[in-house]
Amino acid sequence: MMNTRIKRPRIHLGAWGAPLGIIGAVIALAWIVVAFLAPVIAPHDPLAQDLPRLQAPGGDTILGTDSLGRDVFSRLISGAGVTIPLALLLVVLSVLIGTILGSIAGFFGRWVDETIMRITDLVMAFPTVILAMVIAAALGASLLNAVYAALIVSWPSYARLTRGLVLGLRSSNYVVSGRLLGFSPWRSLWRDIAPNIIGPILVLASLDIGTAILLLSGLSFLGLGAKPPTAEWGSMVSDAIGNFDQWWLGVFPGLAILTVVVAFNFVGDALRDALDPKSATLRGGGPTL
Amino acid sequence: MRPARATRAGRTGHPFARYLIQRILTSLLLVVGVTLVTFTLTNLVPGDPVAAALGQHAAEDPAIVASFRAHYGVDQPLVVQYFTYLGNLVHGDLGESPTTHHPVLEDLQVAVPATLEIAIGAIVLSVIIGVVLGTLAAYRRGKVTDHVLRVVSLLGLSVPTFWLALVLYYVFFFKLHIAPGSGRLSAIYAAPPTVTGMTTVDALLAGQWDVFLDASAHLFLPVLVLTLYTVGLLTRFVRTAVLEILDMDYVRAARAKGLPGRTVVWSYVLRGASIPVLTIVGLAFGSLLSGTVLVESVFSWPGLGSYAFKAASNLDLPGIMGVGLVIGIIYLGTNLIVDLLYSVVDPRVRLA
Amino acid sequence: MVSHRSRTAFAIGAAAVTVALLVTGCSAGSSSSSTKSSTIVIDRVFDLKTADPSRQYEPTGAIVDKALYETLLTFSGSDVSKTVPGLATVEASADSKTFTVTLGDGHVFSDGSPVTADDVVFSLNRVIGMKGNPSFLLSGVTVTKKDDKTVILTSATSNPALPFILPNPSLSILNSKVVIANGGTTDEKDSAEAYLNANSAGSGPYVLDTLDLTSQVVLTTNPKYSGDDKPTYSRVVLRNVESATQKINIEGGDSQVALDLSGDQASGLGSGITVASTPSANVIFLLLNQNSKVSTITSNPDFVSAVKKSINYDDLVSLAGKGAAQANGIVPSMFLGALGSADKTTYDKTGAAADLAASGYKGEKVTLSFPSDISLNGVEFTVLAQRIQSQLKDAGITVDLAPAPVATEFAAYRDGKEALGLWYWGPDFPDPSNYLEFAPGGVVGLRAGWPEGSDATVTAAATAARAGGSNDERATQFTTYQKALNATGPFIPLVQPANNIASASSVTGVEYNAVWTIDIAALGSK
Repeated sequence: MMNTRIKRPRIHLGAWGAPLGIIGAVIALAWIVVAFLAPVIAPHDPLAQDLPRLQAPGGDTILGTDSLGRDVFSRLISGAGVTIPLALLLVVLSVLIGTILGSIAGFFGRWVDETIMRITDLVMAFPTVILAMVIAAALGASLLNAVYAALIVSWPSYARLTRGLVLGLRSSNYVVSGRLLGFSPWRSLWRDIAPNIIGPILVLASLDIGTAILLLSGLSFLGLGAKPPTAEWGSMVSDAIGNFDQWWLGVFPGLAILTVVVAFNFVGDALRDALDPKSATLRGGGPTL
Repeated sequence: MRPARATRAGRTGHPFARYLIQRILTSLLLVVGVTLVTFTLTNLVPGDPVAAALGQHAAEDPAIVASFRAHYGVDQPLVVQYFTYLGNLVHGDLGESPTTHHPVLEDLQVAVPATLEIAIGAIVLSVIIGVVLGTLAAYRRGKVTDHVLRVVSLLGLSVPTFWLALVLYYVFFFKLHIAPGSGRLSAIYAAPPTVTGMTTVDALLAGQWDVFLDASAHLFLPVLVLTLYTVGLLTRFVRTAVLEILDMDYVRAARAKGLPGRTVVWSYVLRGASIPVLTIVGLAFGSLLSGTVLVESVFSWPGLGSYAFKAASNLDLPGIMGVGLVIGIIYLGTNLIVDLLYSVVDPRVRLA
Repeated sequence: MVSHRSRTAFAIGAAAVTVALLVTGCSAGSSSSSTKSSTIVIDRVFDLKTADPSRQYEPTGAIVDKALYETLLTFSGSDVSKTVPGLATVEASADSKTFTVTLGDGHVFSDGSPVTADDVVFSLNRVIGMKGNPSFLLSGVTVTKKDDKTVILTSATSNPALPFILPNPSLSILNSKVVIANGGTTDEKDSAEAYLNANSAGSGPYVLDTLDLTSQVVLTTNPKYSGDDKPTYSRVVLRNVESATQKINIEGGDSQVALDLSGDQASGLGSGITVASTPSANVIFLLLNQNSKVSTITSNPDFVSAVKKSINYDDLVSLAGKGAAQANGIVPSMFLGALGSADKTTYDKTGAAADLAASGYKGEKVTLSFPSDISLNGVEFTVLAQRIQSQLKDAGITVDLAPAPVATEFAAYRDGKEALGLWYWGPDFPDPSNYLEFAPGGVVGLRAGWPEGSDATVTAAATAARAGGSNDERATQFTTYQKALNATGPFIPLVQPANNIASASSVTGVEYNAVWTIDIAALGSK
């Protein structure tokens, strides 16, 4: 439905595109390193409720303490290891499911295509929040269950992209000649088509990591994701709602989300310039909250 | 992308009309599909809507429970319940919500305009700002302005809306006291007579200036939060669309002819880019309508998102079904319009 | 090339739009902060489902209906230990089975028609017959008219608590002619709710102006109100506002009363605001399921005892904030028969370790289920559950938290499927007999997998308490019952969270009532 492919305009790798990408990559990598090192560098146990409650930043705690007397800084850095890996998992799973179904739809066409595309329509027409609530209620609230809920609504954009690309390639000379030579359709799908669609998929996926982080932390903010006492950024922000006087409860986890998402978006944007300059990606009705 | 299957002209008489009918029928089928999926999923949840609606004490009384089940038809087998729902739906009856004790249709008539109000505000602002910034970025491609705008729009796309909403609320309301609190109107004002359901519009229609100003002030922060995200989206997109047009022969010719810059911008570039931009605006509007739950929850805005959240957390089946329907229709409707726009503009892209 | 002029025009345009929007937003914002003096704004976290008194059974509904309607008997101020006449006086027979209701003179509805025995019979029969949420309040009660001023209530069983039930706003007396004309019946076919959500049909000090279940309720004075004390405020706006915003609103003068501040929020209020902090009648408790099919761990008596001693009650009370108190027993402190602090359960680390060792617990995970979306008087169940998890961890007990929306979790609780559960009990009426449900085989007892015959001592104490007697006798019976429950029962009463009502200093008459939270009509100004 998103017929927004546009003929190649002249966008070159901007003089700033690459440096932005590098800045993004550095920040993203830094957060990933933090995620791994969190248990070592955290000054406190992120779950221990042994400090005075609602202490302002400064003194023995860098970023203050929360309403249960936990160290906000320690929770913040261990939060990196919670959301980022699951967001990556979500994107990887979406890409896998989406590209497989999209290639099948594009390659085989006819009723197969029609069926898969109608399913994507159905899924994308479905409200994410209700889906997440229902899944959280049925399987119990956990971040992994939130990933499943998000997965249901996030694979279709890859299916559509892949299908479009495969459709374009299917009639191309080398695929047609392969078919004439009697190669199996699977072989041609794998050998001839796959290498040609990786670029655009990679671009979409890299831009989607940020969206995935926003989605998962948003679900946690609503209480549909991370289960307490997990140090998850979105649920840390929601802790701040009842304690407006303690601004540090909400500000820092929000900044953490912002920096990570910006970093991945910088990388994705630079990748787009480099790999798939013709797209100005906007997927219709993707998983938004 | 739709397959660009060539149409044999004349075979069907009116290919466009046929296409239109086919698309509308498909959309209707999909809406029914959405209701079926919603119904099935909601009934898979292990909770008990009776317990949710009745509360601690009444849920223990068998007579009250039986009366509740009979009233809401949940004593029937699921298949019967579903077809009863569809049957009522045909007559425009969306059932009664056990949470609000209101017909769902009435609830939605309040919630949808509330969300429309912020969505329209956000989309209008975003289009104005996004088109200006996007065009600017395209014209100044590779220059500092372009790069700054790139960073700004990427930032807009990266801010967690729930957090931004809280921060703005904290700063402008809690600290500076210049923004009003949550909700749609300050307590001293009574809501204007309902015409459209949008407080600002209704206040204008009733000629109540003070109410209009108050409603606009309440609208301001939620709209601002949603605008930031959509502007990020539109700026990037408009830039690409304008660059594409600038590259077209006729625009180059016009510019080479030495036509004044403003004429080129208005008559050629923006007109040429308007269809892809309209498309994206349509889709962005659709996702705004269905994606406001976080912002609504921060600002206690009684819109579709809040309603969906409340219905879902109370296992309020008629409410959930109603929201699913509305969002499904909004989504399929915008897509239908977008596709139609496309096939009108570019007849090659048509007919799946 | 594009001319400089058009570029500049773009930039100016963009700036102008932004500035214009900022100006409208801010100027409009500042113009809205004044409040008319005859209007009082009350902020509340809504749990409102309907304004139809005979259907509502939510605290917010009680606040609204208390202002719109009158009941046969009522309470004075915050004292719920004795009833005072409302629309009527009530006389009980010796066996507490027959109650003679005699209507007082001069009571009129908001349309000017007098309150009659027919209205009483219709209103109470409507509660019973509609089988709505509050109908269990009158279970086993029949209502008959004797003459124009007298109604007889007959209870199938001895019902000494009935006079304490009658003040509940759910048992308000409605104008039967108006309600019947708008679809009212005394059976399940009743369709007057829509009317009663848009209009009131009562004799209370206020009438309903507008009602929006999700945003606000507006009341205006009832010019026909026959009571002696006319309300001070001519217009009342009860708004649905989150507790953090309530604090901002009252500090900024945007509201005059805030009903849902947490202890933390209430203690940080500025000058010019008065806070009335009293323990609420809600008791938050932990339940350990005694059904070994649900959990072999929590059904072990030594484990139950270990958990009771592992909880640091003082710490929980301080977490619950200003005005909160430890729940000494399951009956809240303001009711007859409440336990004194000498009988409360105390934190005992070494005792807990010994009991835990005796129970044979080997570090298995125990799941603590709780309603994640409940915030009771500013105490969030999610916060409390995390603190309990941490305390039990210190005692060597591994707890896994299982939060779920109350809508889904309540079913598991009601069906007695939770191993460890964190819940609360809000009283249906201010009489300790309501708490006999915690005995083996009672409504709540069964939720803890504790059927009849599980604990002879507690059952005997409960039976004695049910029999009734003089106030002193009842007080002794209920303390015995609760001591037995504390010793061997599967419930651990934790805290009575504080009810913090913050009000502007200009507002008088702010008093917490365990049944209807606050009486709006009693608010005055100085």
